[in-house]
Amino acid sequence: MCPYFFEKREMREGRKGEKERDEEKKKEEKMYVSPFLIEVRGLEFSYNGFKLEVEALSFPAGKITAIIGPNGAGKTTLLKCLAGLLPIRRRTIFYDSQDIASLKEPVRARLIGYVPQEHSLAFNYSVLEFVVMGRAAHLSLFSLPSARDLEIARRSLEYVGLPSFARRTMSELSSGERRLVLIARSLAQETPVLLLDEPTTFLDLRHGQEILELVRRLTRERGKTIILTLHDINQAAHYADNLVLINEGQVVSSGLPGEVLSEELIEKVYGLKVSLVEIAGRRFILL
Amino acid sequence: MKRGPAWVWMIVAAGFLIIFFVSLILGSYRLSPKVVVRTILSPLFSSSREASAEVAHSIIFYIRLPRIFMAIIVGCALALSGASLQALFRNPLVNEYLLGLSSGAAFGAALSLVFFGPKIPVQISAFIFSLVAVLVVLSVSRSTGGSIVSLLLTGVIVSAFFSALLTVIEYLASPYALQALFFWLMGSFSLAGWREVAMTVPAIFIASFLLLLFRWRLNLLSLSEEEGRSLGINVRREKLLVIGLATLMTSVAVAAVGIIGWIGLIVPHLARMMVGADNRRVLPLTAVLGATILLAADDLARSLTSFEIPVGIFTSLIGIPLFIYLLKKSARIWLG
Repeated sequence: MCPYFFEKREMREGRKGEKERDEEKKKEEKMYVSPFLIEVRGLEFSYNGFKLEVEALSFPAGKITAIIGPNGAGKTTLLKCLAGLLPIRRRTIFYDSQDIASLKEPVRARLIGYVPQEHSLAFNYSVLEFVVMGRAAHLSLFSLPSARDLEIARRSLEYVGLPSFARRTMSELSSGERRLVLIARSLAQETPVLLLDEPTTFLDLRHGQEILELVRRLTRERGKTIILTLHDINQAAHYADNLVLINEGQVVSSGLPGEVLSEELIEKVYGLKVSLVEIAGRRFILL
Repeated sequence: MKRGPAWVWMIVAAGFLIIFFVSLILGSYRLSPKVVVRTILSPLFSSSREASAEVAHSIIFYIRLPRIFMAIIVGCALALSGASLQALFRNPLVNEYLLGLSSGAAFGAALSLVFFGPKIPVQISAFIFSLVAVLVVLSVSRSTGGSIVSLLLTGVIVSAFFSALLTVIEYLASPYALQALFFWLMGSFSLAGWREVAMTVPAIFIASFLLLLFRWRLNLLSLSEEEGRSLGINVRREKLLVIGLATLMTSVAVAAVGIIGWIGLIVPHLARMMVGADNRRVLPLTAVLGATILLAADDLARSLTSFEIPVGIFTSLIGIPLFIYLLKKSARIWLG
């Protein structure tokens, strides 16, 4: 069994399937354009005594929505429900009127990309090997990634600004770089929707900013719908088009940052006296 | 990513061929390399045979070749099953021996040998009980968070349980059956003939083939369950598939030659050192290396002393120190 045999076969398959797949992709892109891409209706999820209840909530397409709230408010739980990773009841979350709970795994993974917060790895894969795993939903059970899949993975790495990292191993990366590689992997998934769980936690100011700039570019350049959880309200107000403020498993307020952020509401939710200051047309929260 | 699979493959292929040839030469009946080559090629030329050539012919074709084939198949099976289980349990220290899979298979096979006779084939009984063992370990490790400590403890306990059951069988077995059982349990290729090879090949061939096709997905199964699902993997279904195939290979191998431990730990590690972690490259290399290493171990087992040492002893002598080393090192490995 010579490895070159496999490589050649990968390349041939890549050329053959390219046209068909591009056409398929165009169809998919058409399907998912709608004014309200994601809708939540009567969602309930509870575990270990914690209960998340969302009566009605919608996330606009092609925009960044940040879910904010104090620790333990249920930000990550809501995000995981939206990602279809938790066992939710049927007919509670809709992506463009498709019920997420009844979608099969690969179909769902071609629709939603999810970037987890923590990440552990048992084997030390190279960065490219790791990113190309994002292609799984596009491949059948017994097939290997084609040359085209590897190319998509390489382009995703380029997009997040790590083009020269393909051959490094995951253990050589800093935590900021690892976060970018995780984002690159979900870009390789080629989904219209991207969910990110606390993408800036444990990063310093500059690396946190880099990631949020990248997220912004993804909506502007690629039209992705992005939902992310953030704990820094100022960051959220600056980068998000919409905010969802939750507390104790309930949505307190949602809408444009200007509507959601008020001194009274923040005091109510966080139990802190703050003042809102406007500098150069941007709102800041000061303690 | 460690590159250079071309030279790695050349070295591994050369190593395999050399050891294959050496295995034909080694043995209590001395055959020179020249005689071996002439005998191997004799079916092609169908020249008239002398009496001495007749002896060489039957030694090579009826004693050494089936034994060599058995070592190749079993080495391949144990190594592939080890590599797959490591991805599945998300831990490079796991192997079929530690998970209690081998003990389950040994108990099943012994049960069939002593009590059922030909009614229930050894392979099937071995498969059922090793499947039970691995599913118990999997379910316990899931509920305890899958740490290596809980995994190993559960494996040890499951092993101990099946060993206890095996002792019961030994106690109840007739002296004649007991002798056969004991000999077989030590792990040896000395009884391998073409009939045994023919009984072992089909299951292992099919399972290896499917696992090799599946090899890239093993990378995805080695991520956390949640990550796997978010990438579009039906984690439960695919894990069951891999468990089924890996268990089938191990149990058929154990049913054929008894317990040979640690191959599933040593070989995938060696393969990863050569080509990196990606199972796309690790799995094919593991298959060939597994065959080569077990063949070499069997050569040592039958030629080092005047009597034959069970081959399982050699694999343990390499495997256990390696395991201890890796366990110490794993405390320092980066795990996110």
